[in-house]
Amino acid sequence: MTVIARRLAGHLARGIAMVLVVATISFFIIRNIPGDPIAARYQKLVEQGMSPEAAERATAVMYGFLPSGTLWEQYVDYMGGLFRFDLGVSVTNPGTPVTTVLGEAAKWTVLPVLTGTLLSFLLGVTMGVYAAIKRSGVLGDLLAISGSLLHGVPQYVLALLMGAIFTTLIPVLPPGGTADILFEPGFNAGYIGSLIEHATLPVVTYALAGYGGWILAMKSSVVTVLGDDFILAAELRGMKRSIIFRYIMRNAILPLFTILAISLGLLFGGAIFIEKIFNYPGLGFLLIESVTNRDYALMGGAFLIITVAIVVANILADLFYTVIDPRVRSGAEAAA
Amino acid sequence: MPATPSAIPGGKTASGERTAPGVRIGGLTVVYRTPAGELPAVSGVDLDLPPGTITGVVGESGSGKSTLALSLLNAVQPPGRISAGSVEIDGLGDVVALRGEDLRRARGRHVGYVFQAAQNSLNPLKTVGRQLLDLGRSHGVGDLRALVREAGDLLGRMGLDGARVLDSYQHELSGGMRQRVGIMFALVLNAHLVVLDEPTTALDMITQATILRIIREVHEERGLTTLVITHDLGVVAEVADRLAVMYGGRLVEQGPTRQVLGDPRHPYTRGLIQAIPRLVGDIGEARALPGRPPTLATIPARGCVFRERCPLRMDVCESEHPPAVAHGARLVSCHAVEAVTAGARKEQA
Repeated sequence: MTVIARRLAGHLARGIAMVLVVATISFFIIRNIPGDPIAARYQKLVEQGMSPEAAERATAVMYGFLPSGTLWEQYVDYMGGLFRFDLGVSVTNPGTPVTTVLGEAAKWTVLPVLTGTLLSFLLGVTMGVYAAIKRSGVLGDLLAISGSLLHGVPQYVLALLMGAIFTTLIPVLPPGGTADILFEPGFNAGYIGSLIEHATLPVVTYALAGYGGWILAMKSSVVTVLGDDFILAAELRGMKRSIIFRYIMRNAILPLFTILAISLGLLFGGAIFIEKIFNYPGLGFLLIESVTNRDYALMGGAFLIITVAIVVANILADLFYTVIDPRVRSGAEAAA
Repeated sequence: MPATPSAIPGGKTASGERTAPGVRIGGLTVVYRTPAGELPAVSGVDLDLPPGTITGVVGESGSGKSTLALSLLNAVQPPGRISAGSVEIDGLGDVVALRGEDLRRARGRHVGYVFQAAQNSLNPLKTVGRQLLDLGRSHGVGDLRALVREAGDLLGRMGLDGARVLDSYQHELSGGMRQRVGIMFALVLNAHLVVLDEPTTALDMITQATILRIIREVHEERGLTTLVITHDLGVVAEVADRLAVMYGGRLVEQGPTRQVLGDPRHPYTRGLIQAIPRLVGDIGEARALPGRPPTLATIPARGCVFRERCPLRMDVCESEHPPAVAHGARLVSCHAVEAVTAGARKEQA
């Protein structure tokens, strides 16, 4: 257990360093962006008749540092704010802290994207196994082609296509939003039904977009394992097919967990195209909005949350490997 | 009789104790499907493994020796297939005719197969012990504790700490240890026919010697019939009672090891032995065999497979495959050797 604790400590140190680097970069982007939004904001407030002191405070609340301070003072203020989870205030939603806006959007991203990712993972992995086993047959070819095709089609084309089919040609699903305004938000059947109805297109599109990658990755992984000596050895020892199948699956799925962890981290970035097309107010949608509205504090916050999510996902993936792969485990023991 | 974990019906004599089976390979031909059509990797091989003996098969890479070894379990991998011939094993019948579950149960229980040591013949994600249990369950072994005990004893017999090894993953074992684990897996279900494919390749000299000693000892103690596949004449000289030399998918010479090595008849066997550098004397005395061994695509379809590199080549070698002719206890397939002995016989007459 101490091995895992030591490994975790190392990861955390590296992860925090990573987050700090990204925060620093995001600070300098905001500080040095063309047109100097901070000075512009300050001047605008003064023009609106605010006293210079009040305007300065208002700007500081928004960006986390005083517009009049030196670069170093501003940096210290900004980073200090981070440790209090203060990412400033959003321009587009006056008076709302960035953390609140992000939290609200995360709600609409995490669950649908998580569902979509897991769906496509399960489907892609299962089909990938079949595609590998039947690779010299028609079924295997069809599966592989379906994978390449879906993997090759860009997400936004897929989203537009799905939208066109299921909202226009066969209008069975709502074109956008999170739920019908007819229903009172809360724990009632009508509202939840409407939530599910609205989430269906984004989730299915997300699942289809990911499926191609999984089926191709799993197919090649299974084919590699099938050629491994220990599979032939197990056959020559007269092992049952079901046992050999388990050997193949466990060894083949191992490398896919890294990809899964990274895509689970990326889900905090939101599915930008899908959320935009289905008008779904998740993190990706928020990111686009913040860019269009030059809401720099919100942008910085969004980047930061993506960074943290990916760092955390990688740490979890690595710890997971020490649990499921004995070779990694003893490698850690040897290093400790 | 001690209750062995594999005291289960099948392949036993009337007394209930399993004995070393004899093996008769007849006219065995294995072809591989290639873009150029089906090409033979093993053609018309006749080889008997007398009960209780160790037979060595020697050949260069690509000579078809591993394919021959896999044929004993009817396990030639696609795109290869056994196109003709039979492999009769006592108590099992013709393995080539076995299919499905019958074939699966025969593997491991009747015929043990030991992989080359450098190959990874174990699942990297499971301990040796867990894989042993998988093996036991696959073969319907009722008493798994007894199976583990038997495995521990076998490993202990080969100089390993059984409990520790059973608790280890493949990556925690050295090449020599893996090879002993491989031998354990081949024997633990009480198989009495054991096939070892390159058992000492990629091991250091000391470990090689240990493994060969173990093979010899276990063979005698358990009363096995053993087939050793190797490219190393030294290995064969060390362990084998009988020796078969393979070239281009055919057996060119076979007989008692001492006779074949001491007085080789076939020009290929002679070339092989001359190519070995001696410990004493000039290194220049070792002469490499000129030319290259044929590949699947270049094995001549007619005539002698060795004629391209043969110093005794005659016209008849182009057109006719030399039949295996008995010379005492030995079988040699060579027109030239035939001509010489026929000449000698005429002189005597």
